[in-house]
Amino acid sequence: MAIGLQADPSEGVAGKKRWAMVVDLRRCIGCMACVAACKAEYDVPLGVWRTTVKVKDLGQFPNTKRQFMPRLCNHCDNPPCVRNCPTEATYKHEEGYVLQRYDRCIACRTCIAACPYNARHVLPSNRTRVKIGGVVDKCTFCEHRVSNGLVPACVQTCLGRSRIFGDLNDPKGEVHRLVSNSSTVTLKPEKGTKPQVYYIQPAQKITDQMSAPPVSYAAKADAEAFYRHNKGRQFFGGVL
Amino acid sequence: MNKHFPMSRRGFLKLGGSTAAVASALGASRLEAMEQELGGKDFSPVTGKLREAVPYTCLVCNIEDGGIAYVEDGRIVKLEGNPDHPGNRGKLCAKGNSGFLHTYDPDRIMTPLLRTGKRGEGKWKRISYDEATTMLAAKLREVIDRSVKANDPAIRNEIVFKWGRNRTGGAIQRLMGAMGSSAMVGHTNICESSKKIGLEPSWGPDIESADFQNTKYALIFGGNVTETAYFHNPNAQRLVDGVVGNKAKLVYFDPRHANTAKIADEWFAPYPGTDGAVALAMANVIMNEKLYDDAFIRTWTNVTPEQLTAHLKSYTPEFAEAESGIAAKDIRRIAREFATTKPATTFSYRGPCKHVYGSYQEAAIHMLNVITGNVEKKGGYCLPRGMGYGQPGPKPAGGKAASILGAPPTYPLAGHQVSTHMPYQLMKGDAKCSVLMTYYDNGAYTYPSSHVWEALLKDEKLIPFYCSFSPYMSENAELADLIIPDTTYLERWDPESMPSDLRPWLGIRQPVIKPLGNTQEWRMTAIQVAAKLDPDGSLGIKQYLNFKDGEEWVRAQFDGIPGLKEDGGFDYLKKNGVWPKYGKIDPVTGQIVDKNGDEVPADYGLHMKELSAAAMEGTTVEANGAIKKGGKTVGVRINGKNHAGFGTGSGKIEIYKEGWKKYGFNPMPVYKRLPSRDKKADELVLITFKVNVHTQSRTASVKYLAELYHKNPAWINPKTAAAKGIADGDLIRVTSTVGYIVTRAHVTEGIHPDVVAISTACGHNSYGRLAQLKMKEKPADYMLGGDADIDNNVWWDDKGVHPNPIIKLSVDPIGGSQGWYDTVVTVSKAQPTDKYGDVKASVEASMKDYEETLRLAYTGDLHKANHKEVDIDWAHLPELKAGGGH
Repeated sequence: MAIGLQADPSEGVAGKKRWAMVVDLRRCIGCMACVAACKAEYDVPLGVWRTTVKVKDLGQFPNTKRQFMPRLCNHCDNPPCVRNCPTEATYKHEEGYVLQRYDRCIACRTCIAACPYNARHVLPSNRTRVKIGGVVDKCTFCEHRVSNGLVPACVQTCLGRSRIFGDLNDPKGEVHRLVSNSSTVTLKPEKGTKPQVYYIQPAQKITDQMSAPPVSYAAKADAEAFYRHNKGRQFFGGVL
Repeated sequence: MNKHFPMSRRGFLKLGGSTAAVASALGASRLEAMEQELGGKDFSPVTGKLREAVPYTCLVCNIEDGGIAYVEDGRIVKLEGNPDHPGNRGKLCAKGNSGFLHTYDPDRIMTPLLRTGKRGEGKWKRISYDEATTMLAAKLREVIDRSVKANDPAIRNEIVFKWGRNRTGGAIQRLMGAMGSSAMVGHTNICESSKKIGLEPSWGPDIESADFQNTKYALIFGGNVTETAYFHNPNAQRLVDGVVGNKAKLVYFDPRHANTAKIADEWFAPYPGTDGAVALAMANVIMNEKLYDDAFIRTWTNVTPEQLTAHLKSYTPEFAEAESGIAAKDIRRIAREFATTKPATTFSYRGPCKHVYGSYQEAAIHMLNVITGNVEKKGGYCLPRGMGYGQPGPKPAGGKAASILGAPPTYPLAGHQVSTHMPYQLMKGDAKCSVLMTYYDNGAYTYPSSHVWEALLKDEKLIPFYCSFSPYMSENAELADLIIPDTTYLERWDPESMPSDLRPWLGIRQPVIKPLGNTQEWRMTAIQVAAKLDPDGSLGIKQYLNFKDGEEWVRAQFDGIPGLKEDGGFDYLKKNGVWPKYGKIDPVTGQIVDKNGDEVPADYGLHMKELSAAAMEGTTVEANGAIKKGGKTVGVRINGKNHAGFGTGSGKIEIYKEGWKKYGFNPMPVYKRLPSRDKKADELVLITFKVNVHTQSRTASVKYLAELYHKNPAWINPKTAAAKGIADGDLIRVTSTVGYIVTRAHVTEGIHPDVVAISTACGHNSYGRLAQLKMKEKPADYMLGGDADIDNNVWWDDKGVHPNPIIKLSVDPIGGSQGWYDTVVTVSKAQPTDKYGDVKASVEASMKDYEETLRLAYTGDLHKANHKEVDIDWAHLPELKAGGGH
């Protein structure tokens, strides 16, 4: 039995939709179009992100390698954020989206602490255009677009067609095909969250390195500047 | 409904967020289509309402991708690629997605400004467009009156127009032509002009269209396709399709591990300026091992395999290894792979060509495709396909006198000008300027030794009147006497076409919204200035700018396009943004497909197309097969067939360039060792680069992009850094003969040990508060203002340090390109009193660099010494001729 305000897990349940994303890391070129498109779609303020692309360099000259790692909410089939939300502000939609109801959110940050993926943030009140703030926000899988037959904004603009979106339960669909036929990993599967963002091809080692703290001066200086600006109250989800 | 699903129980339909959309989804039946659509419409996440959609053409960089702008309550809220566009196929890059922030930049200039204090003091008076255009017209009139009175057309060249990104479809040239001035200076020599000059005499057009999507082998020299380079977005899509989808091999040459190296099978870091040696050595291997396409060389070029083999003899892989540091065995292996894997293509951009003698390097890389017969093959190295749009008649004849600024006679082959030389030419008195106008141009930031431009613009004797059309307070605009702000690209009219796909297209840029405030697009300003300059038409100027507005002007430009009218003409473009419509995007493959789901094919073998009887009418055929009409080559006869051929004098690919030899340059692709190759062991070569989220100079003010990339520490190899006692993040001094900058070290494995690389994306001393991190200051009263996000949420505190002040002026004497990557520097730990961001640069040192680089020109004393192998009468090189160029 699911706890919290949520639909039952629907991964692999016939007759039900289970929206999911495949990120084919072979095709990601780190162009950041997804990050910019997402910012625009939701008027996402500076300092918070619904999606990012992490960058890491590995190896020694001249055998240098670069790895990109797009990150977003995993829209878990068993989401700990929903279980932990005291006000039922966050909930899991029947089709798999994990969504946020701003008017019930008390910004207690319990969901932020519960999320193993740092996919949530407190939305600043000073925004360019949209007048909602002071609540927790997150990626919605662009539910407002998907329900109108479109892919999410990040998928729409993905230059490498690295991000692929669809109904995992549709056996004819591309997402189903890719997850069935490719070697995929999810992030922190040991947490039992059943993440619904599937990465093609990385060694688990790479995904672990991607979430390691920054090492270069350039990255650390950004993180320090971020924490100074936010007085330590926000998690830095930027592109490091 | 699932019993746990709370929709009805909780009744949150009336709550905020995206509930309206949720409701409609639940009410809707399952979609019939198997996959979600990729785009073409957009909904508000807050209200669920369908957003108004207006097609446009992007202009954040120069690739001109097609877009759809989504408008909510009169405000542009989202940009998306136009799914009907064959080039970008519905997608935009990070810059394109962020482009609407140019429109809503709180520091955007919203009214014409007249300087009230001293130049550069920052004191401005707001005036109307009417007052501003009257003032500019009077300044221009003064010059024209003097020209008329003295009956000297050369005086009109004192009206100087300097542009950067000019996508006006010839509007600026039309205005200048109408006024009779030839002093038009584009920016192409700080961009890729020696690439153009390496290619144009070789096969006609100035760029290649590498068919990455269908290739099996791609060899890229210094063209960072997945981040920047020409056709960044379209080419990046196709390169990923080729490398991942089509299992093509990608070999990438770049002294810096750019993101393109990430998807490459092999990355090589050549010593800067040695790509040509590598390419020539590969050609040597291909010729010696008889891996070349004999028939193609004999049929379609002006050389024979025997001549090529002899010419390439000294360019052994061992020679190239000594120059480039790339192992001879790798050069051999890759040459063999390239020649034997079909189809294959090269691509190059600003790496090889942006050196002194960069034209040779480009021609050498081009030749690899020719000798392997990959030209115009599916998956190969193709001619670019574009569509023309002219200016409507009557067209002005243009200036009667040649301008030294517009076409320096010392660079007769540099058909894309030598704009770097403009300040020096004016300072030395070689040319005179009475009125300077600049458009999308920021020389005091974007040029090598940028301080020289600052010095020029500050000098009221050399520049008595300066009018900038910039909508932002740039390093240049701050030094203007008058600013007549243009609108942003989402508020103006232009025709567009770019060869970003093998299927040609024509696009439109149109106002997505009415220009903000009372701002007006540049076309309108030009129309008003012409009307005030020549109110009764007696000067013969007004007749050429007699348009009601920008729309009427651009409509007239589209009127002459064959076939467009039948599809609905100008109104079709306004509605759809791009023409023709080739098909529909397949949501799974991202390709443009027809009704049956098959990819819409491109045409290949353009040079093979046979000329019709009508096209042959009135032509003559020369001994070498060239088919001539009115003095121009229109095709080539081969084995009795009349082919379209290539855009050269012979109609064939001219690996041997007689036009170069005339001036003492080598007619064949050669490698010239540069002084930077002989630097001292402890010195480094300074290179610059663009990053994926920025243009050269205009995007540090765009918040989404600035958040992604805002500081530009100098890339330095760990071994090099260790030898100099430099640790990651250390304050360092980078010193050239021009001066020094104080920046920080980014110690990384992604850079050649002899190189230091600094991005040009940031380090502004102008361009609004965000670019300078001065958010505590209030926006000036003439600015748009009003972005609480920028005022409160900017978290980064480092704006970067720009490298241009210490980069030496030094140009390719053939193509006229700035040698951006030829500056030798020392890098050391900063001195105790140094502060981050310190810049010291000497105008005197740059003046010496100017004199020095003139010595390489065909008239200079180093020219012959560098071309001893060229067998011509050195005592009788062609005379200097004003209005050179081709």
